[in-house]
Amino acid sequence: MNAEPSRGELFSTLAAPPPRRRSLAVSLLAFGLIGLGLGAALLVARAGRPYRAAPFVTETALTPDEQDPIRVAKRAAQAAGALERMRPRGAYLVIDSYRNRLRLYENGELKHEAVCSTGTGTILRDPRNGREWIFDTPIGERVIERKVKNPVWAKPDWAFIEEGYLPPTNPEERFDPFSLGDYALYLGNGYIIHGTLFQTLLGRRVTHGCIRLGDEDLELIYRNVRIGSRVYLY
Amino acid sequence: MSGLARAFISTSLLAASSALAGDIAPDPGRVATVRLEAGIARTPAVYLLLDPPRRVLEIKARGAVLDSIPLLGIEVVTQQPLLGARATRPATVPAVWTVVDEPSDEHRELIAPVELRPIPKEEEEDAADDVASPAVPAQATPTPTPAPEPAATYRAHLDAGWDLLVCERLPPRGFAGRFVAAVRDGWVRLRGEGEDYPPAVALAMAAEDARRLHHLLRSGTSILVAAGAP
Repeated sequence: MNAEPSRGELFSTLAAPPPRRRSLAVSLLAFGLIGLGLGAALLVARAGRPYRAAPFVTETALTPDEQDPIRVAKRAAQAAGALERMRPRGAYLVIDSYRNRLRLYENGELKHEAVCSTGTGTILRDPRNGREWIFDTPIGERVIERKVKNPVWAKPDWAFIEEGYLPPTNPEERFDPFSLGDYALYLGNGYIIHGTLFQTLLGRRVTHGCIRLGDEDLELIYRNVRIGSRVYLY
Repeated sequence: MSGLARAFISTSLLAASSALAGDIAPDPGRVATVRLEAGIARTPAVYLLLDPPRRVLEIKARGAVLDSIPLLGIEVVTQQPLLGARATRPATVPAVWTVVDEPSDEHRELIAPVELRPIPKEEEEDAADDVASPAVPAQATPTPTPAPEPAATYRAHLDAGWDLLVCERLPPRGFAGRFVAAVRDGWVRLRGEGEDYPPAVALAMAAEDARRLHHLLRSGTSILVAAGAP
């Protein structure tokens, strides 16, 4: 028995385009949209100034005198000798303040490596006058100026301000016989290699610029470097 | 790398020493580099040795290598329109470049108490401790605030007229990559936020290396650019 199409079905059949015409229309619409997008992108790209990379080309600028083979050999010897004389000798320390590592060298040979803690890099501002301290471990060459056993820390102003306290007027209130540990090696400008009460924080950047070491490492370093030994911080 | 090698083996020094021993003909460019380095190493400052042929950046002081950073690439980057190419000038080496404008340190955390109060007297402190938390030990380990990390991509301005761009990845060289970069930059500029920078020597390195180099690029830091074959 043939079922008669309803009015609605009949209308939709008549209104819809054949499948091929419909896919053509969709394709045209898609191409149009892509073209429009590309056009807009091209217009936007024209306003841009992206980086263009090129090889790093160098040209050596040397005088004829600097290229004279006989003189070059002599100069090479002089320059190498000059650098050799500047190199550190004896026991010295190298401190990597990013990775929090301290290395002890003896005449260029690595003797010991220790985990340390270095400066946070944070800034402290005094609300009274806007004075700022940057808690960075310094970089460059320093020397061990003093070595002290059982050191007492004379707390500077920032140690109180950081805690929200007014710095005391009585100097006696600044002395702290515990925080620096058993030994301290003074590097000048208030920077010290010392011990810590918080050994679990070793290996992190948590200090105010000083270099903290664990008890055993600190003792080894204390016994192996002299006053005047060089310290390289980077 | 062994500590011994890191501390003492300086390629430039070795080259000069080899020349001294008569092993190889000394490269005039290398020798000029060592002579420049001998001048820089007189100061106590840490300096950097950029060695393009070896693709390495060495952290040095007094002629000793403290550490070295392998470079993934070294190129000159300039901002240019998508269509159009401008030649870049070659860098004259050996040379000492000095950082005149260090990379931004916006990553730094600021501690700024609003007001300061007097240090409490010992009796008051004890009384407060008794009321608040009698079981808390006197020296509890503080919880460290994670140290903020600097960015892995940044610029430092050099006195040589170049910038130094430290990045993880060099800009794309292919047209498709540049097109995408141009669209991105164009969109930023159309919003009025685009910036123009001087030509830069781009050093690509691992993100961790870029971060640890960040604090060494302070104003006044010297970068010795080596010449000649190692």
